[in-house]
Amino acid sequence: MNDLHADEAAQALAEIQRRQQQVIDQATVPGWYWWSVGALMVVLAAGVDTRTPAALGGAVAVFVVGLLSATGVVVRSQFLQARLRDGLLDGRAVVAILGFVALIVGCTLGLAFGLRAAGVHYPATLACLAGGIALGLGGPVLMRALRRIMLGNRAGSTR
Amino acid sequence: MTAARFDDLIHPPTRLAIVSLLAASQWAEFKFIRDSVSLSDSALSKQLATLEQAGYVEIRRSFVGKRPRTSARLTPAGRAAFEQHVAALQQMVAGSGLSITPR
Repeated sequence: MNDLHADEAAQALAEIQRRQQQVIDQATVPGWYWWSVGALMVVLAAGVDTRTPAALGGAVAVFVVGLLSATGVVVRSQFLQARLRDGLLDGRAVVAILGFVALIVGCTLGLAFGLRAAGVHYPATLACLAGGIALGLGGPVLMRALRRIMLGNRAGSTR
Repeated sequence: MTAARFDDLIHPPTRLAIVSLLAASQWAEFKFIRDSVSLSDSALSKQLATLEQAGYVEIRRSFVGKRPRTSARLTPAGRAAFEQHVAALQQMVAGSGLSITPR
């Protein structure tokens, strides 16, 4: 039998919440990653728009190496430290992630085809510039939404 | 609904911090736990050994290349004990009219 006071129990619960937030924050994709992917999209699109094999080859190489490097840094420094338990990310999180990807890809492609139809030069580059900015601004918003979902699904959550 | 059961083994501050970290994880690296709770290697090893003896934690030792890597995770019994402990704490708080302010 314990003789713990209610305020000590409340402190213990606050500590539990703080520690679980630490793990969740550790697994959050940093803001620089989204801007990096956005910039790499622009490089790739510029390579496509120039329509020369050398530029396209260079752009593809930069895109692949850049994406692998950025992803590798995030995985090594964040996800390998502590892997989130199953159940923190639920169906709402999957919908949020897929919705975000569909929105970025759909808007970027739609804009690119629209610009091309309007006869604008470098349509893919301009569309990917807009898509990259949306990715850089929207990525952290997505992360905040996922964080809220995970905090709601952690043990001891009252939400 | 989780049954409430206060757990004297989990409740001390250092072990509560460790178990809370592990409760949000599938598994966590020794280094991550050590840095998160600001313990020395030996102090963390001792706490993990206590939890392992109770059947609450599983320690996994492996190699990545030539570098040893130690990670830990809660066992199903450890997760159940933690959830029951949280429920017991929540009961105490609820009974007193106090509340936890979410951040």
